[in-house]
Amino acid sequence: MSALPITRLSVKEAVSRRLLLAGVLLSLAFLVLFALGFNALYSRASEAGQGETALAGGIMTILGLYIVQFLIAFLALFLATGAVSSEVDSGTLHAILARPLSRRSWLGQRWLAFAGTIAVYAVLMAGILLMIARVIAGYGAVAPLRAISLLVLEGLVLLSLGFLGSTLWSTLANGAVAFSLFGMAWLAGIIEFAGEMVGNDLMRNIGIAVSLLVPSDALWRGAAYYLQSPAFLAVSAVDDAGGAGPFGGSAPPSAALIGWSIAYVVLLLAVAARRFAHRDL
Amino acid sequence: MADLPVSTAGLRKVYGGSTALEGLDLEVRPGEVVGLLGANGAGKTTTVKILLGLVAATAGEASLFGRGVGDPEARRQVGYLPEHFRFPDWLTGAELLDYHGRLAGMPAAERRGRIPEVLERVGLAGRGNQRLRSYSKGMTQRVGLAQAVFAHPRLVLLDEPTSALDPIGRREVRDLIRDLREDGVAVLLNSHLLGEVELVCDRVAIVDRGRVVRAGRLDTMVGAGTQIRVRLDRVDERALALLGGFGEVVAVDDTTVVLTAEGSDPAAEVAAELVRAGYGLQALIPVHRSLEDIFVGLVSGSAG
Repeated sequence: MSALPITRLSVKEAVSRRLLLAGVLLSLAFLVLFALGFNALYSRASEAGQGETALAGGIMTILGLYIVQFLIAFLALFLATGAVSSEVDSGTLHAILARPLSRRSWLGQRWLAFAGTIAVYAVLMAGILLMIARVIAGYGAVAPLRAISLLVLEGLVLLSLGFLGSTLWSTLANGAVAFSLFGMAWLAGIIEFAGEMVGNDLMRNIGIAVSLLVPSDALWRGAAYYLQSPAFLAVSAVDDAGGAGPFGGSAPPSAALIGWSIAYVVLLLAVAARRFAHRDL
Repeated sequence: MADLPVSTAGLRKVYGGSTALEGLDLEVRPGEVVGLLGANGAGKTTTVKILLGLVAATAGEASLFGRGVGDPEARRQVGYLPEHFRFPDWLTGAELLDYHGRLAGMPAAERRGRIPEVLERVGLAGRGNQRLRSYSKGMTQRVGLAQAVFAHPRLVLLDEPTSALDPIGRREVRDLIRDLREDGVAVLLNSHLLGEVELVCDRVAIVDRGRVVRAGRLDTMVGAGTQIRVRLDRVDERALALLGGFGEVVAVDDTTVVLTAEGSDPAAEVAAELVRAGYGLQALIPVHRSLEDIFVGLVSGSAG
């Protein structure tokens, strides 16, 4: 039972923070609100006809998961931004690293704890939301497991980004940088979508370049594609825009995107471990 | 030599442009309490942090039990109380100890038995189930000490362990250090409190601006080099030359000479020589030097 003591403590820490408790309550409130709103809108759409119900169910589900995606991202960024720096600044780390424990191991175990927290949160939130859509509207996503996996991967990408920053900068500076990068990726996703619409290569390339730097939004679009129902796909294919508009996804994620995202996590963690190993505390 | 609890040679540390350590040599032997004495900023904490691998030395060598300080295994038998001990304050005292025991590789059954034992030892019996955020400053320091000695270390590094304690707490820390020594545990004690060090240490290393300016057994350091204050009717070249034969003249004015004499008690000889040479000897006072005198003499000029 003495395996991974840092992971155990970090999970305990995440759970014991009041912030997280508030987060859980708000998340539950969001799910209830979603269920009520979805029910109201869906019953109105079902009066209008078959095509309308498929469209309404699809849009509502994807927008609901779009909010969930933000919640996952915020959780990842909040956990990550002070993951290392706040421990160093507060001085709690000194007594711990004086034990026969390498810094690499400490960092890895802490990352694992937060990654687990994010994964559990993502699976629960997205799973419950899809369940609500299924019960109310009989909505079934094309590939829910793939979609949820991509949401988890997005969380891990942002977690690793915040982790690296946390070994380089103060908590506050890192928070500003990490949230800006996340915002930038989101904006670039919209620019890329607009580029697709008007056929502008420059706008498309900006989106792709930013996705390489921070693949979070691209992963969301991949997840959003898999979250559509077959009926929704059929209806939305009639529109030029495709998918759920500027916030959704019109194509399945490429293998290159998934590969790069996994490599991105590993790479960022490796750099973080390297930076942290040689730092004076 | 290889397995000394602490051994450093020519330890040097430069932070940015400023030098914290300038060739520090230090040894701590098993069962020995060594005091690292110095003003704030002299390099005491840096030394301890290098030993624990928290800070990387710019140059020089440091080892714990013969293992280089870069190796986490070197810290297997080490307990450490940082100067400003912080901890996750949502843990209870017992949970903190359990956690550190686990990090040190102690089996669960052994940890369970050891927790009440150590809490009792540091005067926190019955407080183990209280959350650390409700602990007072003194209790925090005590649980920090408990954490340092919890996993049966063979070397304990204490960085200003008594700074937050009242006189009774300080005495208890001294007793704890003596107990550790009896068990054969080596202790390196950082302090700027001279009295503290004088009461408990076998050896002292006085650190000033990143180097050991004086090191040795406390009894010989305090006993050796007795100062003698001599008052004469006149002080001239001949008197100084005569006194210079007994030791080093450290202060002179019109009627008084202070010299640091070697040997056990040269006062009688000095008196006889002066009278034989025709001086009017008005007073001759041997001054027993305290550690504080030695310290102030060595560390003069550096602002606290």
